[in-house]
Formats: sequence, C-alpha cells, structure tokens
Amino acid sequence: MLALLDAWLLAPFDYGFMRRALVAGLALSLAAPPLGVFLMLRGMSLIGDAMAHAILPGVALGFLLAGFSLPMMSLGGVLSGLLVAMLAGSVSQMTGHREDSAMASFFLISLAAGVMLVSLGGSSVDLTHVLFGSVLAVNTTALVLIAGISSVIVVTLAMVFRALVVESLDPLFLRGQGWHASLVHGVFLGLVVLNLTAGFQTLGTLMAVGLMMLPATTARFWSKRLEGLIGIGIAIAMASNLGGLLLSYHLSIPSGPAIILFAGAGYLVSALVGRHHSLLVRLGRRAAPLGAPEPH
Amino acid sequence: MVGLMETAPTARLQLHDLQLAQGNRTVLEHVDGAFRDGAITALVGANGTGKSTLIQGIMGILKPVAGRVNCTVPKERRAWLPQQLALDLTFPMSVEELVMTGSWPSHGALKGYCARHYRKGREIMARLGISHLAHRPLGELSGGQRQRALIGRTLMQEAELLLLDEPFANVDAETVDVLTTVLRDMADSGVTLIVVLHDTEQLARLADEVVVLANGHAHWTATEAVLQGRTPQSPLVPLALGLTGANAC
Repeated sequence: MLALLDAWLLAPFDYGFMRRALVAGLALSLAAPPLGVFLMLRGMSLIGDAMAHAILPGVALGFLLAGFSLPMMSLGGVLSGLLVAMLAGSVSQMTGHREDSAMASFFLISLAAGVMLVSLGGSSVDLTHVLFGSVLAVNTTALVLIAGISSVIVVTLAMVFRALVVESLDPLFLRGQGWHASLVHGVFLGLVVLNLTAGFQTLGTLMAVGLMMLPATTARFWSKRLEGLIGIGIAIAMASNLGGLLLSYHLSIPSGPAIILFAGAGYLVSALVGRHHSLLVRLGRRAAPLGAPEPH
Repeated sequence: MVGLMETAPTARLQLHDLQLAQGNRTVLEHVDGAFRDGAITALVGANGTGKSTLIQGIMGILKPVAGRVNCTVPKERRAWLPQQLALDLTFPMSVEELVMTGSWPSHGALKGYCARHYRKGREIMARLGISHLAHRPLGELSGGQRQRALIGRTLMQEAELLLLDEPFANVDAETVDVLTTVLRDMADSGVTLIVVLHDTEQLARLADEVVVLANGHAHWTATEAVLQGRTPQSPLVPLALGLTGANAC
C-alpha cells in the first residue's frame, strides 16, 4: 500500500521539472483565487476570460522577438493586457457603452491578432504551447518569475484589500472618502493581467483564468464569508495543482487541462453536495421553526 | 441667496456662490450658505430640484462649475448615506463587518482591529437594536435593519458631517423612532447633519432648519415656516416642495 502511495504521490516529484511545476502551481494558487473571488463578487467573472485573451498578442510578440523567453513573453503579455484594459475602459467612457461589451470586442480582436502573430513566426506546436502551456517549460527563470509575480500580487492585494471590499460593496462610500473608484478598479485589473501572465507558462493563456475562477466559484458552495471564500479557494487551487500534475504525469495528458479539469470536477461535486446553495441543500431544505437558533 | 448662515460665519461647511451642473444642465446656481454645526438641516424640494446634486457637490464627487464648497471637516470624518439601492446586497458581509468598515477611513488600510474596536462596534449595534443580527449577511436584512446597520457604520466612523439621502424611505416605524433618536443624539454631540426629507411629520420631528431647493436656487429657512407654507417662495405649499405627510396640503 505504502509502495503504491509512494509510486503515485511522491515518485513523480523525483523529477526536477515536476517539482518546479508544483512550486509554480502552488505560488499561482496563492495569488489567483483571491482575484477570482473579487471578480466573481463584482460580477466580472467573464472579464477574467476576456483579459486572458487580451494578453495573447503581447505574448506572441514576445515570442516572435525573443523565442521561448518567458520574461519577454510575460512583459509583452502584461503590456498588451493593460493596453486592452485601458482601451476598453476608454471606449466605454467615451461612448457610454458598458465596459463588458467593449472588453468583448477587444478580446476577440486580441485573440485573432495573437493567433495570427504566432502563426506567422512559429509552428502549430508553438501555438499549442502558448495557448495551453506546458510544465516541461517551467525552468528556474520561469519559476522565479512566477513566484515573484505571485508575491507582488499578494502584497498589492493586501494593500488595496479594504478599498477593494468597500468598492465592491458600496463604491459611493469609497468615493466619499476621496478615493478614486476607477483607480482601485484599475489596480485590480492590473493584478488580474499580471496573474494571467504568470499563469500562462504552466496553464496556457486560455486556461490560466481557470485557476482564478473555478476555485472561487467552487468556494461559493462552501462558505458565505469573504475570508472563507478566499481561504477555501486557495486550498482548492492548491489541491487542483497537485492532483492535476499527478494525473498529467501518470496518464500522460497535458498538464494545463488536467489541472483545470481537476478544479472543474471539484466544482461539479461541490454543486451537488456543498454546504450552501448545492443541490443536496436545496433538496433537504426545510423551513426552521420560529425561535430556532440561527444557522451560521 | 443668503439665509440663516449669516449668523454662523465659522461653520464647518459653507457654500460660496456655488454652481453645480449635471452634464450641460445647470441644476443649482448662486448657492450661498452655511450649515449650522451640531444641527440637523433638512433638504427639501420637488423631484429634480437638485437635492442629490447638492449632496454630491458637498461630498466633492461633483466638481462645481463655479463657486466653492468650504468644508473644514476631514475627509475621513465625512459620511454619506445614499439611498439603499446603491449597496451590492449579494456581497458576503455581515452586519458586524459592515459596521466595522466605518473605522477603515481613519484606522488605515493594513492594521487589524483591536478589542477596543470590537467593543465599540458591539456598543453601536446595541444602541441601534441590531446586536442579534451581528452575524447575519446584509442580503438577508429588511430595509429598516439595513438602514440601522448603515447608520452604525457612520457612528463607527465618528462622522462629524453626515449627509443622508431619504434615510426613512422603506423603513418600519420602529426604525424611524430609533434612527430619529440616534440622529438627534449625534447632532447634540456636535455632528452636522444634512438630511433629504420628503415627509412633513419627519421634518417637524427632526429638522432644526431647512434648505428649500426650487428653481435652481437654495433658500435657508426655519422649519416652522416650511410647515406653515411660509417659505421664501411664498405662497409655496408643502406639496410643491415634494413634501407629503399629515401636514401636507
């Protein structure tokens, strides 16, 4: 039994690339779910997906200029993500259209431009790598970059946490204190872009958003409190990284989809048997008698 | 127009020849006046006369086209309670957590709460009769309970200037009584309160003086004058000021 556990859980991490991928995944798991929780609570769940597409042209340009250089591809991704966020915000302000419709237009343009750029300068293998990531490519430089970006995100998020909570709940309270709500929103979108840029190496540009959103939406079935959502989201993301990497290793399947599918399975199970709003809770719900103690 | 403020040149909130616009439309102009410290001033006027615009101007959210707002109250001691619909009620926050957010502007962004903060929060909730709701999510509260929690946040903030936009809309009679007492206590302790009101009964109970908004101008006047229909725009009647209630014509 122990030998089986060793073979399944520990032996894969005898390989350096698996250890690096795990550490990179755990670093991303600390930074991504809190951002996902705020995206979800602010009704911006699909904005994360749009931003994931927005980084693609920059990543592709970095790839064209410097090959598989993670720092250059990341820099390109951050710049193009921020540019699209600013353009979408500006178009929304100038035209009065909702920000999500401007974002949807720009992410489609970005996706097409990114795929075009990669195709011009590389093969379909390169395109697959950029779109879906690969654990094999996580070298020490990539690991340091991912851990560094994740650290910056966690620290910045801690600094703007209260402003973000107030802006999500009651933007007018924040404005009344002299804060610019658009500044808080901009910093938050910047963190989302940074996180997606850090995640594309292991998960790919299209699936990096999965590590943000799936743990957050899954946590909603287990907690009604903000701290609970964030804590549970981080735990789910970490478990998904570990589980996904092991599945990827043993079944010889791509690591990015394996990690996201692992998180997706957690979402489906939680939707069935979670503590709040799940199918099980709905089926077993009975009105409490008057005077009964309140559930927490 | 100049009103009762002439007796209070050192008031913490003064308006000087203020002009405010929404887009290209001037809503208020030549507004001159001071709000008496430690008093409750009611803002009355029919729909579209600029009550919310004036509040936005005072809070610094709407920049004046001309003139200026002189406010010596520090930003972290200014509180604005808009109508309830501005809140995202799906946000996972309990009553106690909402009340505690009132300490954020002065307490800072990174420091945690100490026992003194929690004790003060509990005292405020007890004063507002919402101690039993401390852990209940905001989305599960009635309109009156939510309004008490929001007033609790301003108490936690130790606001010195409090602006309220129709605080008694959609709340129960008991909440109106509790909030009236709390707001009066705040004024007695020196807080400057500006309250948008639509009900003559509440005006009679609460307001020390009244600012009437009509035709793009503001007129400071005594509460009794409004209740008796003797406003600077005589012969205005309460209904013309958007007022309803037992005393309205």
